[in-house]
Amino acid sequence: MSRLGRTINKNRPTVLTGVLVATAIAFGGGPALALTEAEIVNLKGPERQKILVAGARKEGTVVWYSAMIIDQALRPVSNAFQKKYPFIKVTYWRGNSRKILQKVLAEKRANALVADIVEGSGLAKGMLKANAVQPFSSPELAAYPKEYIHPKRLWVTSRFRYLSVAYNTKLVSKSEAPKSYEDLLNPKWKGRMAWRTGASSSGALLMITNWRTAWGDKKTEAFLKKLAKQDVTPVQASNRTVVNRVIEGEYWIAIGASAHHPIISAKKGAPVYSQIMPPVPGLNGTIMVLNGIKHPYAAMLLVDFVLSEEGQNVLRQANYLPAHPKVAPRPEMKIIVPRLVGMEENFITPAILFENRKQTRAMFNKYFK
Amino acid sequence: MTTKPEAIDSLWMPKETAGFWRRARSGFGYSPAVIILAGVLLILIVPPIIFLFQTSFYTTTFAGEFDKFTFGFYTELVTNPRFFNNFVNTTVYAVGSAAFAIALGTAQAWIVERTNTPFRQYMFLVAIISLGIPHVLYTIAWLLIMGKAGPVNDILRAITGAEEAVLNVYSMWGMILIEGVGFAPLAFLLLSSVFRSTDASFEEASMMSGAGISQTFRHITARLAMPGIMALMLLIFIRAFESFEVPALVGLAGGINVLTTDIYESIHMEMPPNYGQSGAFSVVLLLWVVVLLYWYNRLSRHAERFQTITGKGYRPRQMDLGKWRYLTAGLLVLLFLLIIGLPVSIVLWASLQPYYEGVTAGSLGRFTLDNYVEVFKAGSFRDSILNTLILGTATATAVVPFTALCAWLAVRRYKGGWFLDQMATMPLIFPAIVMGVAFLQVFLNMPFALYGTLLSVVIASVVREMPYGMRYSYAGLLQIHTELEEASAVSGAGEVGTFLRIVIPLVAPAMITCWLFLFLIAVRAVSMPILLVGPNSQIVAVTLFDLWENGQVTELAAMGMAWMALMTVVSCLFYIIVRRYRLSLH
Repeated sequence: MSRLGRTINKNRPTVLTGVLVATAIAFGGGPALALTEAEIVNLKGPERQKILVAGARKEGTVVWYSAMIIDQALRPVSNAFQKKYPFIKVTYWRGNSRKILQKVLAEKRANALVADIVEGSGLAKGMLKANAVQPFSSPELAAYPKEYIHPKRLWVTSRFRYLSVAYNTKLVSKSEAPKSYEDLLNPKWKGRMAWRTGASSSGALLMITNWRTAWGDKKTEAFLKKLAKQDVTPVQASNRTVVNRVIEGEYWIAIGASAHHPIISAKKGAPVYSQIMPPVPGLNGTIMVLNGIKHPYAAMLLVDFVLSEEGQNVLRQANYLPAHPKVAPRPEMKIIVPRLVGMEENFITPAILFENRKQTRAMFNKYFK
Repeated sequence: MTTKPEAIDSLWMPKETAGFWRRARSGFGYSPAVIILAGVLLILIVPPIIFLFQTSFYTTTFAGEFDKFTFGFYTELVTNPRFFNNFVNTTVYAVGSAAFAIALGTAQAWIVERTNTPFRQYMFLVAIISLGIPHVLYTIAWLLIMGKAGPVNDILRAITGAEEAVLNVYSMWGMILIEGVGFAPLAFLLLSSVFRSTDASFEEASMMSGAGISQTFRHITARLAMPGIMALMLLIFIRAFESFEVPALVGLAGGINVLTTDIYESIHMEMPPNYGQSGAFSVVLLLWVVVLLYWYNRLSRHAERFQTITGKGYRPRQMDLGKWRYLTAGLLVLLFLLIIGLPVSIVLWASLQPYYEGVTAGSLGRFTLDNYVEVFKAGSFRDSILNTLILGTATATAVVPFTALCAWLAVRRYKGGWFLDQMATMPLIFPAIVMGVAFLQVFLNMPFALYGTLLSVVIASVVREMPYGMRYSYAGLLQIHTELEEASAVSGAGEVGTFLRIVIPLVAPAMITCWLFLFLIAVRAVSMPILLVGPNSQIVAVTLFDLWENGQVTELAAMGMAWMALMTVVSCLFYIIVRRYRLSLH
C-alpha cells in the first residue's frame, strides 16, 4: 500500500507538468499565435482589427451567455454579428443572471469552460467576486461615459433596462389602470396580479430592492404587508413569460415586468401596456470577458460589435434600450424611459443589487412564502 | 433451467488446480467477459454514488468546491417543517396520479382486451405514439388547455357567467390530472398484459351463471387482476414520486413543492448553488425509492401467484357488449383525445401564432409559419434536434449489446453473472434527477473537460437506462433453450462465436424493439439532462423546458410539432416491428 502511494507521488509532478504544458499549448495557441490571452483582449493600435480577424478566423467560433430574450434580442444580435463575420460561428445560450453565473462557475470548476463572453444585468458583481472575468479594452469604449465602464475595465454597460407594471388592455382600461405602486393595493386587483420570483434582477426581488433603496426598509415593509394581502401570484419563469401570461389574460397585471417587453408585443398587436411608476428601477446590462477562454480573438470582435453603433442599433431595432450615447431609443420606447417622461429614476448598480440580495430575499420570504 | 454446459467452460477455463497464481492468471474461474463487464459497471456506477453521498456531507465554496464536513444538511431537513410538508405533497401527488392513471389504464385495457368494441386495436398505436411525445411538451400542452386563459376556462366562464377563471390548474388536482393522463398509456400497456394473462373462463362462468357485464367486471375481472393492478400502482406511484416535469412546470407555478423540485431549486434557485442541500434531499429520495422498490418486488412476486396461466390451452374470449359497445367506443375516442388529440391540437394552434393569446377568434386571422421557419433555420434548434438524435442513438446502441451480454452471462449462470445482473439493475434506485445530481458532481470533479459535453449526457443516460435494457434482454434470453447453444459448442464454436452466431440472431427482434424503446425514453428525458447539458449539448426536451421558462411559447410549439412528427415515425417503426415479430410490448 505504502509502496503504491510512493510510486504515485513520485509520478505526480511529471503528470502535472504534462497537463500544464498541454494546457499552456491549448490556451496559448500554437507558435503562430504568440500573444497571451491578456494581451489579446487588451490589444490596441492600428493593427488590432487585423490581428483579431486573423486570430478569429483560426478560432472559427465564439460562445456567449446572455440574459437577453432569444427571439427578441439575443438571436438578432448574434445573427447580425455572424453576417459581419461569416467565418465565425456564434453559439449563444440564454439564462437568467443566476443561471449564467452558476453555469460559468461550474464550467470553470470542471476545467471545461465553454463560454467566452457573458452579458446580463444581474451578473457583474458575482462574476467579479468569483474572479471569473478579466480587464479588456475596445476602441468602442471611447464613445461611452466613464460611469458606464468599471474602473478596472472589468465590465462595460451594454444596454439599459427599466421595470414597469404591465397590464392587459382588454381587461384593464387605461383610465382605471394603476399609476402608482399604492394603486396596486386597490382590492379590485386582488388575485389578478403576478410577479416573477426567480431572480434578483427582475420581478418581485428587484422591486423590493427598488423600494428598499428608495423608501427605506420601514416604509417598504409597511407596503409589502398590504401587498401580501393582494395574493400576487409568484411565477417561476422569465420576466418575458409573466408578460405573456398577462397577454393571454391569465393575470391582469404584472408587477416588475421588463418595461420593454410589453412594447415589443404591443407592436405585434398584443393587448398589453407598460406603465412605469416612480421610483422607476433602472439597471444596466453589462458585458464581460471571462478569463481562461478558448476564443479570445473572436470574443473581442463580439465585444466590439455589441458595443459599436452598429450592434447597438440592432438592440434599438429590437426595442431594447441601447447604452451607446449616439444611439437613441426608438420613439415608442419613450414612455418607459423615466428621464424622457420626467419621472424619478432609481438606478440600481450591480453593487447595490448584489449587496442587497440577501436582505431582499429575506423580506420577500417573510411576506410572500 | 439448465446450467452452462461444461463444453463451453472447458474452452475458456481449463480446470486448474495448481497454485494461487495459476488460478489468479485464469481469473479465479471468472470468464474474462464477466471481469471486463463488471469493471465497466463498477466504473460507471460507483463514482456517482460516492459523489452523491459526499455532496450531502460537505459545504461548498462560492465557486462550488467541497469545503467543510457537516451533518448540517440532514439536520436542516429534519428540523425544517417545509420538508415534511413537501413530503406530504409528494405522497398525495404520487398516490393521486397513480390511482388516476390506473383507473384510466384499467378501463382502457379491459375495453381493448376483453370486449368487441370497435377501434380497440388502434389503442396500442395511440399508446406507442404517445411514448414519442416528450413529457415536458405534454405538460405544457395541458397548461395551455387548462390554464386560466385556456379554452377549458373560456368555456366554463361562458357557461357559468363568471368573470374569473373557474379552474386553477396550477394546483394539486391539476398536477394529479396532468400526470395521471400522462401515465395512462403506460398503465394501459402494462395492464393489458395483466388482462391477457388471466384466464377468461372464470368470466365466462360468471356470465353463464347470469351475472351482467358490470357485475362480472367487479366480481371476477377486477378481483383477478387486482394483485397485478396493485403492483402496477406501486410502480407508477414510484415513477410519479420521481417525476419532475409536472411538479416543475405546474407545481412550482402554483407554489406546491415536491421533493424533486426541492432538489432542482436548491441547485438552480440559489447562488451559490446549495449542492449540499440537493445532495441531502437526493439521498433521502433515493433511500425512500429503495424501500418502495423492495415493496414492489414483494408485491409483484405475490401477484405472480395470482396469475392464472395454466397448462391447458385457453384464449381470452371477448365479451359481446351489444349496443353498449358504442359507449365504450366513445370512451376510447375520449381517451384518444386526452392522450393525443387535444394536446397535439393546442400545440399546433400555438405554433401558428405570432404571439400566444389563447384560443380566440381574433387569433384565427393571425396564422403564420414564421415559427417553423425559425425552427428549421440553422442554429440552436437544429443543433438540439441533432444532439438529441445522437443522444438517443448512442444510448440505445451502447446499452442494448452491453446488457444483452450481461443478461446472457447471468441467465446462463456464469460465475459472477449474478453480480452483473445486480449492478446493471441498480440504477433503478436512482430517481432521474438524483442521478443528475450525482453525475453532475462526478463531471464537475473530473480532472479533464467532460462537464457540459454531449458525451457526458450520453454516459449518464446509458447508466440510467441499463436496467430497462437488462429487463428486455433477460426476458428475451429466458425464452431460448440452451440446446442450441450446446449444439454450437459441441460443433466447436467458442463462447464468443456462440454468442454472436447463435444467441444474437435468436434475440435480434427483441433487441431491436429494446433499442427503439430505449431510444424513445432517452430522447424524452428532462430531469437528468437539465443538470448536465451545456450550450453545445442542448437537447430537445431541455430546450422545450427552457423555451417555456423564457416565454417563447410559439417557437416552442413549432419545435414540439417538428419533434413529434419525427418521433411518430420512430414509434410507428417500433409498433410495426413488435407486430411483425409478435413481440410483447412490455
